Amino acid sequence: MKNQHDFFQGIMTVQVEGTLIEPFLQACIKRGCYITNMRRVDPSIVILTIRLKDWKTFRQLRKKYRCKLSIKSGKGVPFLLQQLVSRLSLLFAFIVAVVVIFILANTLWSIKVDGLSPELEADVESKLNTYGVSPGKLTIGMKDPIEIQQQLLEDIPDLLWIGVKKQGTSYHLYGVEKTRYDTDKNNRPSDLVATKKGMIIETFIKKGRPMVSVYDVVRKGQVLATGQLVEEEDTFVHSEGEVIAETWYRVAQTLPLKQVLMLTDGTVESEYHLKLGKFSIPVWGFWRGEDGDFREEIHGSDWNLFGFKIPIHIQTIDYYSIDRKAYESSKKEIEKLGLSSARSNLQQELDPDAEIKEEKVLHLSEENGKVKLILMYKVYENIAETKYISQGD
Amino acid sequence: MSKWQQQIRTWLSRYFDLPSDVMLDLPRITTIGSIHVYIENHTGLLHFSDEEVRIQYKQGQIRILGKDLGVKMMLKEELLLEGELKSVEFLPDSKGR
Repeated sequence: MKNQHDFFQGIMTVQVEGTLIEPFLQACIKRGCYITNMRRVDPSIVILTIRLKDWKTFRQLRKKYRCKLSIKSGKGVPFLLQQLVSRLSLLFAFIVAVVVIFILANTLWSIKVDGLSPELEADVESKLNTYGVSPGKLTIGMKDPIEIQQQLLEDIPDLLWIGVKKQGTSYHLYGVEKTRYDTDKNNRPSDLVATKKGMIIETFIKKGRPMVSVYDVVRKGQVLATGQLVEEEDTFVHSEGEVIAETWYRVAQTLPLKQVLMLTDGTVESEYHLKLGKFSIPVWGFWRGEDGDFREEIHGSDWNLFGFKIPIHIQTIDYYSIDRKAYESSKKEIEKLGLSSARSNLQQELDPDAEIKEEKVLHLSEENGKVKLILMYKVYENIAETKYISQGD
Repeated sequence: MSKWQQQIRTWLSRYFDLPSDVMLDLPRITTIGSIHVYIENHTGLLHFSDEEVRIQYKQGQIRILGKDLGVKMMLKEELLLEGELKSVEFLPDSKGR
């Protein structure tokens, strides 16, 4: 008698034990119970199947007939539900896990911008931020890559083109920068003047009238080319050009003969701390003694969670052991060292186009364990500078 | 009195050609081969085991003998037995009829 109705109502297999089984069953039936699949297992034990709703009647009558009831098994929706409830926590955990995975899979984890200068890259990133596109945000409800692309092109005029591609949980942007040509022509009348003293080696005046020639020695501020095209006339132009001149530099250096170098020999001991806000909890390596010379390097981790900085960090302190070594060098070596360092220093100070042509040791003396070095440098560099002419009207 | 009533009933069922089980309050026993027994209009199950089932009806008892007997379904006035059936015996009450 397995039908749909029984399945929804629930049926159960019950074992009845006692001496007055038949009268008990008779009484149950009189109250409208429905008994199926009854079998006698033992003279005093009967196994039968009843409906769940008849269970109440059975319980009420069992005392009167001194029968022992025990449930063997249950079938149907009510029992399934009961099982489900007992596993509800498991079910809940499963649902939560699915939801978490879904959220994580739909979170934007990284934005990569390629092909742009750092300034423009920062600009693009900040613009993306204002659109709500930043790492840690959900991609659900975010604009389409095509929409982002159009908006970026509209908002950043320096972009010639930008490709926005969504790759899994990251956005990949590839931009092309507009090459800017100076369209604003400077037409203010101007002269070219010397920025420093020097001897002209080469002149290349694009616009204007040259006032000096090769091998002329010019002072600082002297006019090299003028915007006044014809003498005593009022036609002025914006003069442009390069004037390469030989300039001289004097470099004085004092270097000690004896040098103490701090060398790390490669042995590193690391100490780890867990930082909670301002508190620091040593985790590993804190037993390190304070012996010997050490150089400390502190690194901290930055952990972000959904765009928020979490206040827990791991701080790593690396102790590099230092070996002090004193080097005594000869005068010759010092000279060599001084020359190379002075040269690189000078090169840094000068324009990148400038060229060091010659170097000369003018003076080399040793006193009190130090070497005094005076050097002379000959440099070819552009000394022309634009100076606007005040027309005074 | 009851005997007189009984006679009236028998006469009525004969005269109007009515089913006798309804009129006479007698059990209707249907067997399907020797594997199923379907008993209607009984008044109670008296004894039940693998080999013997005894059922009460108005005027006595029915004894069903067999092997591996089991109750497939039991309602207030219906009973469906299954198993290997051997015999159905009627044991009317001595005072009845």
